[in-house]
Amino acid sequence: MNGFKNEIKEIVRYNGLLHNLIIRDIKVRYKRSMLGFFWVMLHPLLIMLILNVMFSKVFNIGKGSYSVYILSGIIIWNFFSQGTTNAMDSFRTNNELIRKVYFPRAVLPISVITSSLIHFVFSLVPLFIIIVLTNTPISSKIIILPITIVPVLLFALGISLIISVLNVYFHDTRYIYEVLIMAWMYATPIFYPASIVSGKLEIIIRLNPFYYFLDSFRTALYLDNPLFITHLIFGFLFAVFAFIFGLLIYAKNKDKIVYYL
Amino acid sequence: MGMPVIDLKNISVKYRLAKDKPKTLQEYIIRRIKFKKIEYNDFWALKGISLEFTKGKATGIIGKNGAGKSTLLKVIAGVLKPVSGKISINGKIAPLIELNAGFDRELTGIENIFLNASLLGYTRKEIKRCIDKIIEFSELEEFIYSPLRSYSSGMISRLGFSIATELNPDILIIDEALAVGDEHFKRKCKERILNFKNKGATILFVSHDMDEIIEICDNVLWLEQGRIYIHDTPKIVVGEYLKHGKCQ
Repeated sequence: MNGFKNEIKEIVRYNGLLHNLIIRDIKVRYKRSMLGFFWVMLHPLLIMLILNVMFSKVFNIGKGSYSVYILSGIIIWNFFSQGTTNAMDSFRTNNELIRKVYFPRAVLPISVITSSLIHFVFSLVPLFIIIVLTNTPISSKIIILPITIVPVLLFALGISLIISVLNVYFHDTRYIYEVLIMAWMYATPIFYPASIVSGKLEIIIRLNPFYYFLDSFRTALYLDNPLFITHLIFGFLFAVFAFIFGLLIYAKNKDKIVYYL
Repeated sequence: MGMPVIDLKNISVKYRLAKDKPKTLQEYIIRRIKFKKIEYNDFWALKGISLEFTKGKATGIIGKNGAGKSTLLKVIAGVLKPVSGKISINGKIAPLIELNAGFDRELTGIENIFLNASLLGYTRKEIKRCIDKIIEFSELEEFIYSPLRSYSSGMISRLGFSIATELNPDILIIDEALAVGDEHFKRKCKERILNFKNKGATILFVSHDMDEIIEICDNVLWLEQGRIYIHDTPKIVVGEYLKHGKCQ
């Protein structure tokens, strides 16, 4: 337990590095693109448009705008999937640094997830634009919207710590994860309503943390859901479990990975 | 003399060299299922090293390739955890990071100063305080707002050296980094290292250039197969080392 506390202290001590790594990530990513950071907002809108054209006649989501439904799903999902996919490689792409300088290694995946979080915050802009354009009434629970994002963040951190360590030992991790994340996306009610899943498949939805994450997020945004608090708590349980598991895996391997890079 | 700045007690580092390493998860799982053990050869990069480094002294480290020089520096820098032994360090360490590692080619010189210095554990505040001096010493004023990909390798190493030394660490680790840069800058670097020493910093210096070793160091450590072979004054150790080299 003491080691845990020290490790977190170390990470906090290196907040300057975290800061600079995030700046690097954002600057480098958009340096040579004309629209630059604007892509953060444009990308989910375009994806939403495509899904809208394809599926608006297929799924009946009941109350509310289909565009808002898809877009809110996409941005939460992208935050997680892009964040973890990039974080997975963070030890390997920075192997030279890890082999030459000491710093708490977790700073690398954490910086990637944090920069994903910043992207997510900016993608809220198009979401609110669509909400206004579609005349969607905003929920009275909107103030707790930030709280519904916390479990997604914790979950993303936990998963990225696990897969970034695994990816050092086994280079197939990345390919397995890419397939997994694709399947995971389809098992998540991003562009279809959870209510269409019934029978044996329902258990898959119920075991998917993103069912709870998305539901809490959408409810805080514009939906009505009597199960809101229950779903939020379920989401937090999944998230805390993944986060602690991730920390344990990291703590056990942080001094070993340098030998495998 | 006071407390040693770096105190190593009986340090050993072992690399496990797998005879044949499973590169994929599939191979690994199949092997585990078949209860086939993965066989390893242990390679001791350092074996039972006990050393003290004191304030204001420069120690040269010499030896053949694979003798454990870099491993020793990595243990001191905290990059490698030794399998056994105790290590205590009093003060801030700045390893001079070789070219490419701590820099990003797409970022400007200024941005790279922040990135690189924060890797060494400095806060943004501390970096801001020193940034003008870093730029001045590197003599890169004209290029500091250009991306690093437009720099020559000599220019990047100048920047690296300026960052590591301008932030006044207590312990400076130099791993054959002086080899790059022109004569004029090399001269400047040497002066600064000697200055540094006079101010009380501890310097660890790996080099294959014996003239440099004699010029900079107060004592020299000769490593041979992960053990200390001789640890004495530069003249004695370098003399022996050169003699030894001739015999082979």
